Amino acid sequence: MRRLAWDYPLLGGDEPDAEAVLREINGRHLSGEKAGRMLNSFGEMQADGSTAGGCWIYTGVYSDGVNQSARRKPGSEQSWVAPEWAWAWPMNRRILYNRASADPAGNPWSARKAYVWWDEAAGKWTGHDVPDFPVNKPPSFRPAPGTGGPDGLAGDDPFIMQADGKGWLYAPSGLLDGPLPVHYEPVESPVRNALHPQQANPTREMFPRNENLTSPSPPQPGADVFPYIVTTYRLTEHHTAGGMSRWSPYLAELQPEFFCEVSPELAAERSLEHLGWATIVSARTAIEARVLVTDRITPLIVGGRTIHQIGLPYHWGVGGGGAIVSGDSANDVMGVALDANVHIQESKAASCDIQPGRRPTGAALPRYVEAYRRRAGLSIETGTTRVTPPEGRA
Amino acid sequence: MQRWSSAPDPATDTGWRDTPARKGFFTDSSICIGCKACEVACKEWNGIPEDGLEMLGMSYDNTGALGASTWRHVAFIEQPRRPTGGGGFTPLPMVAATSDQNSPASAAETGIRWLMSSDVCKHCTHAACLDVCPTGSLMRTEFGTVVVQDDICNGCGYCIPACPFGVIDRRDGPAGARNVGIAQKCTLCYDRLGEGMTPACAQACPTKSILYGDLEELRITAQHRVEELHTAGVADARLYLADPNDGIGGAGAFFLLLDDPEVYGLPPDPVVTTRDLPAMWRTAAIAGAILLAGAAAAFVRARP
Repeated sequence: MRRLAWDYPLLGGDEPDAEAVLREINGRHLSGEKAGRMLNSFGEMQADGSTAGGCWIYTGVYSDGVNQSARRKPGSEQSWVAPEWAWAWPMNRRILYNRASADPAGNPWSARKAYVWWDEAAGKWTGHDVPDFPVNKPPSFRPAPGTGGPDGLAGDDPFIMQADGKGWLYAPSGLLDGPLPVHYEPVESPVRNALHPQQANPTREMFPRNENLTSPSPPQPGADVFPYIVTTYRLTEHHTAGGMSRWSPYLAELQPEFFCEVSPELAAERSLEHLGWATIVSARTAIEARVLVTDRITPLIVGGRTIHQIGLPYHWGVGGGGAIVSGDSANDVMGVALDANVHIQESKAASCDIQPGRRPTGAALPRYVEAYRRRAGLSIETGTTRVTPPEGRA
Repeated sequence: MQRWSSAPDPATDTGWRDTPARKGFFTDSSICIGCKACEVACKEWNGIPEDGLEMLGMSYDNTGALGASTWRHVAFIEQPRRPTGGGGFTPLPMVAATSDQNSPASAAETGIRWLMSSDVCKHCTHAACLDVCPTGSLMRTEFGTVVVQDDICNGCGYCIPACPFGVIDRRDGPAGARNVGIAQKCTLCYDRLGEGMTPACAQACPTKSILYGDLEELRITAQHRVEELHTAGVADARLYLADPNDGIGGAGAFFLLLDDPEVYGLPPDPVVTTRDLPAMWRTAAIAGAILLAGAAAAFVRARP
């Protein structure tokens, strides 16, 4: 680390000039005619030490020596793709695999949605976006048999990062829950899968343990004990997470309290008062939040039934040292189940109940949750059945 | 007194010579996304203390109003447009493929209209706060803006009821903070303008909803923008405080709104509160003279 070059110009105190850092990430020519000039695309990067860059995918953000990410040309003054609003990696390309917007012959599938197309006269791909395709490879190009790598892809193979250049609807390999995409309900859901008998994804990764109980979903009995949906999201006012937000007075004052958002209909159904307290209970635990009644939350109509949804912002939690605001954590009511392919947490939505007033504290809290579990007939096995049994035989 | 002349430039009217062009804000609420970056940037730059950790329940607005420690305030207004009686499906907040790309997401697409607008000191052409200030702490700058000189203000508070918008206030805490007891408000970042910089809020605004520049140019930009919105079918778009002939002689900080000013908590037809003072003093002087004359006459008649 003693040989680290850290020669960015400082702006007031020890704060490095962010644009200088961005220039370094973009990369520059180190020698030759263009020495000192910014790289315009990662295609200019060389393996012989004559160029340097911090991250190939970001090369071009400073093309022509201009901070392209700072561009703010209004949408009304440019094409609807708005290529001059900020900058997108890679190459300022706004939609990946955009050759697929043209038919195999290179003409837009739809004149109204024309995006990228083959210009026969000019002999190249062009359009509103930066083509995501070898720019001079015509739609009619066919590789010699046996050619491998990118050169082995034909002029009508738009998915250039795939081995065969094709987008797959039928995926016979690579996916644990293939070969065809299908709809499953979340692990916890108050409604039956309307599409087919299998309720939830049978390949999901589960962690059946007492701290991570799952509430029953139809057709299992007890699902009506947790009749509502709860989901989580971030607030614009929060920077990254609670640790960076609730300790900062200027952010804490913008969103000072943990709250739940409910529709006027749910508020009436459960006697929830605007700015009052509510307790949200799931199979895991119960948390409390201030109530924000808003028309922005609309009850869903699923299979002819009204399903209420409750919105919870992330990033509250216990105070800790020096926190300016604190509150219960939305994560506490969510369970953990993972997608089998990429191991991403599946439980973005969960089933719950909501009641007016603050939650019990101390030993009364687990007793309160336990009463719900008993009413729902919860055990460590609940919700862990992979293949939904046929109706009537469950 | 020429205070009420329709001064084309309040800075030269005040006695400044060789002034730069009058500076101001054009806040276009039609492209405000409610991120509150302006509020934070303002507090960061101006060293304003945190002033309240209370949830207000006014949509996502927990700031509430402008004040001594809030120089930018983003209002959130939820306008329900859902048909009564419930039912139907949830309209997703997506822009329909057929909708005009320039029009804000319409009520029909979302079921609700969520208005956001960043409020600020108006830097009036006829500024009552400045008129009533007995110490000369409130001053007109060479940029045509109105600024409190905190080392001169004695905290008398005359300016507070004088402002027709309720912008200026005395800082009441927290203890130990700078300028407690002193009247405070937006300076249009006087200390940045002098360096040729953009005010902190406009600099931080990610959508350019807050534009800073020469007032004359901003008024032209705003006129184009409102015409553009009208063409796009947003008939409710209107400019607020852009007219030099209004009750405050036009504002240095004016707005494009999508509904009546009252919806945003703004007065519909503000008037500089000192407008009637000369007439009132004249009337009072006449009344006093008549009183004195009457009293004198009584003595005259009393003499036999």
